[in-house]
Amino acid sequence: MNAPLLEVRDLRVGFQTDHGLLVAVDEVDLTLERGKMLGLVGESGCGKSVTARAIMRLLEQPSGQVLKGEVKLEGRDLLPLPLEAMRKVRGKEIAMIFQEPMTALNPVHRVGKQIVENLLLHEELTPAAALKRALELMEWVGIPAPDQRIHDYPHQLSGGMRQRVMIAMALSCNPKILIADEPTTALDVTVQAQILELIKRLQKETGMAAILITHDLAVVAETCDDLAVMYAGRLVERGTVESIFRSPYHPYTKGLLECLPKLDHPPKTMLPIIPGMVPGLRDLPIGCRFAARCPNAHGDEVLATRQPWKDCGGGHGVEACACFASKL
Amino acid sequence: MALLTVENLKMYYPVRGGVFHRTKAVCKAVDGVGFTLEAGETLGLVGESGCGKSTVAKSVVRLLKPTGGRVVFEGNDITHSGARELRTFRREMQMVFQDPAESLNPRHTVGQILEEPFVIQKIGTRGERSEWAAELLRRVGLPVDALGRYPFEFSGGQRQRIGIARALALKPRLIVCDEPVSALDVSVQAQVLNLLLELQQQDRLAYLFIAHDLSVVQHMSDRVAVMYLGKIVEIAPAKDLYRNPRHAYTKALLEAIPQVDLSRKRERKLLKGDVPSPINPPAGCAFGHRMRHPKWEESVAMNLSLSEVSPGHWVQPCPCCTEEGRFSGLPVA
Repeated sequence: MNAPLLEVRDLRVGFQTDHGLLVAVDEVDLTLERGKMLGLVGESGCGKSVTARAIMRLLEQPSGQVLKGEVKLEGRDLLPLPLEAMRKVRGKEIAMIFQEPMTALNPVHRVGKQIVENLLLHEELTPAAALKRALELMEWVGIPAPDQRIHDYPHQLSGGMRQRVMIAMALSCNPKILIADEPTTALDVTVQAQILELIKRLQKETGMAAILITHDLAVVAETCDDLAVMYAGRLVERGTVESIFRSPYHPYTKGLLECLPKLDHPPKTMLPIIPGMVPGLRDLPIGCRFAARCPNAHGDEVLATRQPWKDCGGGHGVEACACFASKL
Repeated sequence: MALLTVENLKMYYPVRGGVFHRTKAVCKAVDGVGFTLEAGETLGLVGESGCGKSTVAKSVVRLLKPTGGRVVFEGNDITHSGARELRTFRREMQMVFQDPAESLNPRHTVGQILEEPFVIQKIGTRGERSEWAAELLRRVGLPVDALGRYPFEFSGGQRQRIGIARALALKPRLIVCDEPVSALDVSVQAQVLNLLLELQQQDRLAYLFIAHDLSVVQHMSDRVAVMYLGKIVEIAPAKDLYRNPRHAYTKALLEAIPQVDLSRKRERKLLKGDVPSPINPPAGCAFGHRMRHPKWEESVAMNLSLSEVSPGHWVQPCPCCTEEGRFSGLPVA
């Protein structure tokens, strides 16, 4: 068996702050297979974006640091790479798009120039050839009249079009992996559907793998193959979308799925809720971090000791907290 | 009598430019919107960004002065009311905003924020006000010791509870909720939605509920209005609208909702293009124009005012977007 395309092992990321070291991501394991789309889901502050940034080695400096673990791209650990080598990985092998394309694009340069710049950096192309390729890319991601749009500034484009420009830039060097950090959160439902459809189409055409970071489980259900659920810096459950949506094991995953208003839920009735709120990073227990909000009965011991990871077969695994482990 | 009646509401903004700052064009943010809202009822308002939903919300509570049309609240026409008159009406109509971090004064304690409505309305003594503020906190499920703390000490969901408590302070009959949960985490969103439902049942509150998440709107609303480019294209009882949408735009919106249900994986017909600008909108049916529908031209000469297709279900009768257009769209003489 070949090694998976991307393997994150035991990743721990911390931030040095005025309150001491805060661990934002704690011993997270992820696997991304070739050609698959992995959904990374969790609420704000759960560490999903930090995980992505750690993979790209784009953590905020100097406060953010990887404390341990490895990020293996086709068997090669990216974390110890010298910066120069890492720069060749970014964009060329792993590309990333962000939530708000307006802040990720340079507002004072025309979009065409920004796409071309990326091409010249990574591919050996003449400027004229790069321009031609930029036009092709823009057409590929469904930007109408690319020969006119190429001269536009980001602010002249709509949110959906800006995200398409970002995707065109990200895909310009045929990366093996696309990391999309909340790519549709700022967009309307109709445009969101277009962008997700576009990412799926491009993925099919190029065979690239993708990590989709989102808080929206419905988006994951529609687009992803695999799913990893994070809570307060830890991975709580992972598996195929099919398997997790059909039978979620962790009470947090269950709660998340239940508290969404669904179209077939009787309207104007109380929704099932997860009581309380996401805990802060400053005083997290060693054990189960969801315990304070967990509907299951549990003793204090689940807080004091790290709960074991359990594989349930078919790639479906869960942090098997004592409160439900006996039922697995 | 309806609690709130909005008739032919128009909000136009001049677009100025050039050396002499002349009006070059008109931005028709809201163009002829009408609906009613009964006590204890929730009307959901959906549409893509820029369709004018927030402008409608702000015109209803008269944070904006509409260009045309009427806003009638409890039988009183408040379209042209001045500041003093509005102050009395604002006891009855309040607003909850999207981002509680921005709509709560960061330099005021929660106590000051919750007492401010009473101070402005000159109600109660100092002691009574702080008693009421504590009671408000209890109603929205926050501890009383929150009174002395500042908004930044709270999470997003708690801040939205404070925003809701402030809106409840004067015992209003109508609360306009503009994207009240879109800034919240999924697990907290359900808590706030439940709170809004509970308060509605207790006080027979009416909500004008704006959200871009159509599943949330469906869950909260008795009736839903769909807006497109400043106009309502369809308005119907929620169940009816979601099960049996009549306007092509409503259908497209509903198709775009991502579904959690895996068994319903389907091929979607995706809406192409973006929302057009409300500056110089096309004549006739704007959505037919966006879809480049061959029958769009017919709609230009037609009277597109909503027509009732089944009890309470109104739709814009254009030949390009509805089956009804063929039968009921009458040419303007």
